[in-house]
Amino acid sequence: MITNIDKEKCIGCGLCVERCPLDTLRLGEDGKAFIAYPEDCMTCFICERHCPKGAIFVHPFKEMLPSVYPIA
Amino acid sequence: MQRETIKIATDVLIIGAGSSGLWTAKHLKELDADLKVTMVDKSAADWGGLMTMSEGDFDAVTPDEHIDEWVQDLVYYWDGLCDQALMETLFKASYDRLCEYEKLGCRYIRKENGNPKGIPQRGLDHIKLCITEVKGTGGEDMRDSLNGEMKRLEVDRIGRVMITELLKENGHIIGAVGFNTRTGDFYQFDAKAVVICCGRGGWKTSYGKNTSTGEGLRLAYEAGAKLTNMEFGQVWNVPKLFSWEGQTILLPLGAKFVNAKGESFMDRYSPVLKGNTDPHYTTMAMALETRAGRGPIYFDTTGLKDEDRQYVQPTGGWQVLNHEKLKAIGIDFFKGRTEWQPQLFTSFGGVVADAYGRTCVDGLYAAGRSRFLDAGVYIGGFDLSTTSTSGYLAAEGVAQYLHDKGDSIVGAVPDDVINEKKSALEAEMDHNGIACKDVLRKIQEIIFPHSVCILKTEASLSTALTQLLQLKEEILPEMGAGDPHYLMKKKEVEAIMMVTEMFLRTSLERKETRGGHYRADYPTRNNDTWLGWLQLQKQNDNLTMTFAPVPIDTYKHPLERYYQDNFDFPVEG
Repeated sequence: MITNIDKEKCIGCGLCVERCPLDTLRLGEDGKAFIAYPEDCMTCFICERHCPKGAIFVHPFKEMLPSVYPIA
Repeated sequence: MQRETIKIATDVLIIGAGSSGLWTAKHLKELDADLKVTMVDKSAADWGGLMTMSEGDFDAVTPDEHIDEWVQDLVYYWDGLCDQALMETLFKASYDRLCEYEKLGCRYIRKENGNPKGIPQRGLDHIKLCITEVKGTGGEDMRDSLNGEMKRLEVDRIGRVMITELLKENGHIIGAVGFNTRTGDFYQFDAKAVVICCGRGGWKTSYGKNTSTGEGLRLAYEAGAKLTNMEFGQVWNVPKLFSWEGQTILLPLGAKFVNAKGESFMDRYSPVLKGNTDPHYTTMAMALETRAGRGPIYFDTTGLKDEDRQYVQPTGGWQVLNHEKLKAIGIDFFKGRTEWQPQLFTSFGGVVADAYGRTCVDGLYAAGRSRFLDAGVYIGGFDLSTTSTSGYLAAEGVAQYLHDKGDSIVGAVPDDVINEKKSALEAEMDHNGIACKDVLRKIQEIIFPHSVCILKTEASLSTALTQLLQLKEEILPEMGAGDPHYLMKKKEVEAIMMVTEMFLRTSLERKETRGGHYRADYPTRNNDTWLGWLQLQKQNDNLTMTFAPVPIDTYKHPLERYYQDNFDFPVEG
């Protein structure tokens, strides 16, 4: 899941916002990208790979889902 | 807030810009360059759908192989539930699509005799997947090549627009409406034909969070089309903590699943095939092992040979980033074992359509993973192959339809009806309520337990259906949006609710075991009653279920052996 966008490094180019398949990211009023809908991230790394400034960090662990082996 | 209305007139509207949508658009323009073809996607216009996330492996019947043998493999693999003529037609189109990809710059490993190198699959005799030269960006390379074709052929593309309803008049399709998921602007499309290319229904797991959410099936169902194979769930074996693509290719090379005792447990469940089998049988065994107290289950890559390890390692794309990040936190996928579990991903269910995508609704076509094919088991490389071939052939079906009926397709939905639809969407968009993610979570809690989606019984399915219907009645109407983004998520969850209900109802109905559908209380195949497809259709606002037998007596290949007979699963009382 995406965990961080470094505001210092972000130049507000909007590439991550344009590319995110899940529409998770948006540009804020300060002109910087932010994680608008964190629960929608699917850990595809597209944002991190497109960021020209290395401002985005996606952790490789995915979202934890309800168990396949629930305790009865 | 005042939102715009955007009206677009086109000849063909393609919903979904992944592999099948791209191939439909490409071939439509090749058949008739004057056609206006418009392709919409709820995501970025050119992101490419799930193809983008794939390895690029592709099942093609190469010149040194025989189509009849491939179809025979499927008849066996799908335990008879195979539309043989349909699969023959799709396979016939497969090698040409692979060659087109190569002409567009994608690279597949070829043998000394010039034919693509095929890797055998699942212990099958003939079906093989062709592998890309570049590991990690195979799917992206295919997407980029097709995106180039879209520019060359001047296909109109619109991103961030979700279609919510198909428009019909006098029984045939005349367009669709939807909204922009960022601005909330309303879109009206006038079209002579619509092709549904938006993937399957599913439960938003891993990289299925965007594409496989079922709204394409819902659009088709609401417009009167039939759905089938809804009882078959794609239950994948996945790492517990992270995503991984491409384990399929590792099994024949020596990787294996082991239980907590280190036993290669598939050797016990299938002495013939051992671990080199379909993931759905592996996940059934994983659930049985865990239930018997021999969990957790691990994927062990220590048996890979060094030379094989080299060519299966990702070398680019998201997979190399994923691999490196995992290594940085101490998880080296190729040098040890990682904990894995079964996970329900998607429904194999799809729209009933012929090889050319024709549904029972005039002007409505379906291609790729939105259409039915597989019976709950899956061969690596099958989707990239069939999304390309079924997209290509759907274009021929649409072109023929326009040729035969194009001039007679007239009609328009009155403005006041369109305005009502716009107002209703806007009201929904602005309405707050229970969060979509909370409703989704409740659906997942009902459907994910292994006793519901893997080792099914009358009792577990009935309990799950009761819980789901209560959720549908009491909570679903209270779900809110609040902005256009969340309206998209709301529509997805509504479609997921529909798919879940269909999965449970058809799973209850099919009182036998076949393909990926395992009924622990009916653990054997019953050809007398169940050799056929359960089809669902909306009639008079009700869900109706009918049975279409497999016309095996009229088919080319007799039904002589069954893949499921390779497995010895225990019988429950």
